[in-house]
Amino acid sequence: MTTPTTRPLPITGYACLNALGGTREEILSALREGRTGLRPPDEPLAFETAVGAVGAPLPELEGALAPWSTRLARMAAALIVPLDAPLRRARERWRAERIGVILGTSTAGAETTERAFKDAVAHGTLPTDYDFRRQHTFGAVLHVVEALAGVRGPAWMISTACTSSAKPFASARRLIDAGVLDAAIVGGFDTLCAMTLTGFHALGALDARPCRPFASDRRGISIGEGGALALVERDGEGRVLVEGVGETSDAYHISAPHPEGAGALAAMEAALREAGRAPAEVDHVNAHGTGTTLNDRAEAGAIATLLGREVPVVSTKGFTGHTLGAAGAIEVAFSAYAIEEGWIPPSLHADPLDPEIPLNVRTETTAGRFRRVLSNSFAFGGNNVSVLLRAP
Amino acid sequence: MTDPAHDRLPRLLVTGVGVWTPGFPSAPAWIAGEADPEVVRASGRILDRMNRRRASALGRALVDAAAEAMEAGGVDPATVPTVVGSALGEVETMIGLLDQMWRRHEPASPAAFTMSVHNAASGLLSISTKNRGFTTSIAADDDTPAAALFEAIGLAHASGGPVVVTCGDGEVPGAFVAEAERFGLLAVALALAPDDGRTNGCARIVGPSRGGTPHVPTDLPRALATHPQVGLLDLADAVLRGREGRVRLDRGRGAGWCVDVVPLEDG
Repeated sequence: MTTPTTRPLPITGYACLNALGGTREEILSALREGRTGLRPPDEPLAFETAVGAVGAPLPELEGALAPWSTRLARMAAALIVPLDAPLRRARERWRAERIGVILGTSTAGAETTERAFKDAVAHGTLPTDYDFRRQHTFGAVLHVVEALAGVRGPAWMISTACTSSAKPFASARRLIDAGVLDAAIVGGFDTLCAMTLTGFHALGALDARPCRPFASDRRGISIGEGGALALVERDGEGRVLVEGVGETSDAYHISAPHPEGAGALAAMEAALREAGRAPAEVDHVNAHGTGTTLNDRAEAGAIATLLGREVPVVSTKGFTGHTLGAAGAIEVAFSAYAIEEGWIPPSLHADPLDPEIPLNVRTETTAGRFRRVLSNSFAFGGNNVSVLLRAP
Repeated sequence: MTDPAHDRLPRLLVTGVGVWTPGFPSAPAWIAGEADPEVVRASGRILDRMNRRRASALGRALVDAAAEAMEAGGVDPATVPTVVGSALGEVETMIGLLDQMWRRHEPASPAAFTMSVHNAASGLLSISTKNRGFTTSIAADDDTPAAALFEAIGLAHASGGPVVVTCGDGEVPGAFVAEAERFGLLAVALALAPDDGRTNGCARIVGPSRGGTPHVPTDLPRALATHPQVGLLDLADAVLRGREGRVRLDRGRGAGWCVDVVPLEDG
């Protein structure tokens, strides 16, 4: 162990929502039983694929918030409910002006805008209840979260594609360290839309079947939706602690990963350096593991180089699909589950493993004492984030 | 300043400024105030040929403004952390994709899809400058300039080094916003450094904080008056003109974040 550069940041509450369910119990049950949330899409597309759609009921936004009601905002509202008790405690402890909202999304209101656009093509004008500023913009949902959470600190959305909701953990940590904030709601969300599915299909990145990260017959990704929120505070009794976050760039290609995973390796190293931890102290990796040939191979090489071949590795995207801008926060929540529950789910359908993946990819539920977990997220733009969590 | 709360506010030095908007391709051109009608398209001069072709009009304006601020601030583009702010990101590319899919019934363009992400410009900037360090891409409607400064404060505190903030937005396709809300292309960049007593800057900025009385902002062309990044332009303008006072970062359309600008003689 070397000297950490900052203090661990307690996560005093967190909540998650995805294709496996809307509650911790539903999600844990599916993860333990190896039950995927991936299904054929409800709306027909010109190609075959599987998607991870959220089936849990989402609250309507009413009264003054009604004009902001989109699927994205309703997901945010659903995720605020389980945080009610820790948020109430935080508001009693810290002034509302000192609690920030730092979230991530890659799609923002694209799903709503796409529906409005189709309507405009059919009828000549945008629907009368469509409001670009309140329903499309990246910042629109911030207003909903601030209002429902009763906080008044600085608020912004990070949009770095598939690392969007992992980066807020680092931003909040820096601003708490700098004395600007005492607490922050972090995390993020994304929704399914045909434009995203069609775009990934055009790139040749979508698998027609449910995705199989690290498997020898993997053919690409499945797209999902969902979100996760966490409350981080300057101090307090954390259920888990953010011990380090590494953020790097590949500086290589706008949509392809660095072939040797150089940026991914640098992000994991930076997270360990910030925490003052050695590679041998990592007990589990929740990999980015999208299921594309290039991504999985590059990430596997980076993990093996830094942590060796024995650390248990799982990609949970076979359960939820790749939830894009929400993946970072959802997988931080899954990493927190591993620490709190003492088991990790299988990497679904990874068997038989690609022989070129030099890792201990778990293909069944594995019990253990997972005190320190790395969660990886990588994105278009060559953006890489690795979050190191640890037990209190 | 005698208010003890004010003394606790974060402070940064401005070491360089960059501006790009049609007619005004640089900060000196902006200050000179004479629009050049031939300047209609940002060059994206620091991008390699392939990425320049890929970049949108917004992306090229953002990287031009960032490059100008980096040069003026004397920071190393290959290592400096960058914060890119945009309320709407690559909205024109995204609407173009929807048009391709739903009006023209054509297959989606993979290149356009790739470049429709909000962080396209920050990715291109890191690729062009071979910067393997930190970059981020953020949005907060009219509070984007304040949010970008908050990110910069955290980064400068954590690293003890410089940060470059660049905010910009392009035009929104007509049907989506009311006539009175429309705006043109604008990108503004600031090279910032911790106020550590060792770095020279042209101004000190204190905040963001809320309240107080901002000074009257600059008169602006109609195309910029409702722009989500106009607050950063007001701040850049005050720094470039050596004007002391409080600058509102949202022109009254956001949460009310302001910064205090103190010109420095040795900058």
